Amino acid sequence: MKLLKQFWWILPLAFIAFYPVTLAGGSPYWSGLLIFVGIYVILTVGLDLLMGYTGQISVGHAAYFAIGAYASGILTAKYGFSPLGAMVIGMVLTGIVAWALGRPVLALKEYYLAMATLAFNEIVVTLIIGLEWLTGGASGLRDIPSFSIFGLVLSNHVHYYYFVWAIVIIVIACSLAVVRSPFGRTLVAIHSDEVAARAFGVDTAKYKTRIFVLASVFASMAGSLFTHYMGFLAPDDFGVLTSINILVMLFLGGIGTIFGPILGAFFMKLLPELTYQIHDYELLLSGLILIIVLVFMPKGLFGIFTAIWEKMFAKADK
Amino acid sequence: MTDKRDAILSVKNVTKTFEGIRALEDVSFDVKSGHIKALIGPNGAGKTTLLNAINGIMSPDSGHIHFLGHDVVGHSADRVAGLGLSRTFQLIRMFTINNATVLDNVLLGAHMQLKPTLFESIFSRGKVNKAERKACDRAMELLRFVGLEKAADAAPGSLPFGNQRLVELARSLMTNPKMLLLDEPASGLNDTEVESFTELLRSIREKGITILLVEHNMKLVMNIADDIVVLDFGKKLAEGTPQAICANPQVIEAYLGTTQTECRLEP
Repeated sequence: MKLLKQFWWILPLAFIAFYPVTLAGGSPYWSGLLIFVGIYVILTVGLDLLMGYTGQISVGHAAYFAIGAYASGILTAKYGFSPLGAMVIGMVLTGIVAWALGRPVLALKEYYLAMATLAFNEIVVTLIIGLEWLTGGASGLRDIPSFSIFGLVLSNHVHYYYFVWAIVIIVIACSLAVVRSPFGRTLVAIHSDEVAARAFGVDTAKYKTRIFVLASVFASMAGSLFTHYMGFLAPDDFGVLTSINILVMLFLGGIGTIFGPILGAFFMKLLPELTYQIHDYELLLSGLILIIVLVFMPKGLFGIFTAIWEKMFAKADK
Repeated sequence: MTDKRDAILSVKNVTKTFEGIRALEDVSFDVKSGHIKALIGPNGAGKTTLLNAINGIMSPDSGHIHFLGHDVVGHSADRVAGLGLSRTFQLIRMFTINNATVLDNVLLGAHMQLKPTLFESIFSRGKVNKAERKACDRAMELLRFVGLEKAADAAPGSLPFGNQRLVELARSLMTNPKMLLLDEPASGLNDTEVESFTELLRSIREKGITILLVEHNMKLVMNIADDIVVLDFGKKLAEGTPQAICANPQVIEAYLGTTQTECRLEP
């Protein structure tokens, strides 16, 4: 039991490592499903830094997902950039946009901040549709190559799966490093009481902007990974509905926990697979499960996990 | 020669109006370096408003506030904090999100020393952890100083109000301040606790930290204050030594009342 308490993280890591070759049995469909989960984990973990830790609501996170995705798509499909280079350019571009936007927008609070982020999401989608010569507009952007690093093409789903999850693990490690440091404590102080945080020397605007940039850069990375997996981009994937989906994953998994978003993304992506049998009622059932979780489990799935975990060890310790 | 000491804080002709109501009207006074100055007056006299103006939470409509020679009017609160001014709050303001503990709260006081950045948090863990350990030792030392080292891992909300105020005091001391603004720090303390709190304030003064103390507990004020300024309806009513304030008929009428039971110096 003691070993389990100390090395629990080996279990999920082993699951991720062996999943494509065992459970998925090399099936591109099942590997692909977890690629999507991984992409959404990156998005949701970033949003958790911004909302769960810093207390800044964003209803437009898909906007940064879109900037990363289209930067990668356009640069590789139209201008022959390498996917890795395009991904980095996308991250820098998104970071600059988030930085420029962050100062004025994050001065707003609550509903006003929600409205501003929502509006920015709409602006980005409108631009994608409008700039048809660049983005392909509503009919989409085609012929995006598979991801490749230094000439090694990751067109095989299993290979790409490992690449995506390696990035997911890096993102989680970075996020944990941030929240478990004085930086994370400062974010929590801003979330709790901005005025008091300022009285202790915290330049709140600066810190809010910094974490906003990090969350946006993560979203941009997720966008690039998404682009090369799909090979095709359409504006529908980046609307407010996607932003809301990310929010739901965050609350479902457990806000302010980093690990919660992982559970939330798994749950939301796998739920349709489980309810597939009763096809016609799929939406109804997933909606119902969602309401039950949100009403009866305020700490989300992660809260349930930790409660079971603590009970388990409370018994073992006796 | 203490009278000749320089003023660390100087408030000049400060006026603040809230929707037509004069919260502060032409208030002026100095706080000498190393002194404990008490700011007293009835509820609604403008004491907290004045503290908020001094530490930059709000700007006065007119007047000047000099702290260590800097005119801090118009400075944001974080800049004023950076000059070495820290404070506690009348309505306790603890950081409680994400199960923040008492120790976490005190450690936030080290923000200006640690100056955390994203880059260092991710890529320079060794350096960050080393600085954090040092800050932790210092925070525990301060919690011991206020008598709460056993509560380090507790949720701030689980402590009695009096103890939460002591956590706020430790958090302020963590910033290594040159001056402290304390807003009713002794409310919620019983008589014995007030006595040990008085000792605490004395030893803070001995460390060379200047204190501006807003307090209703006259026994505490009379015991510890080097001098007193009295506010009434936003105006300065009187200023002087504890003895002079106690004997001032205007102050007695406006605030102390006629009984004066609390208003005498302990032998």
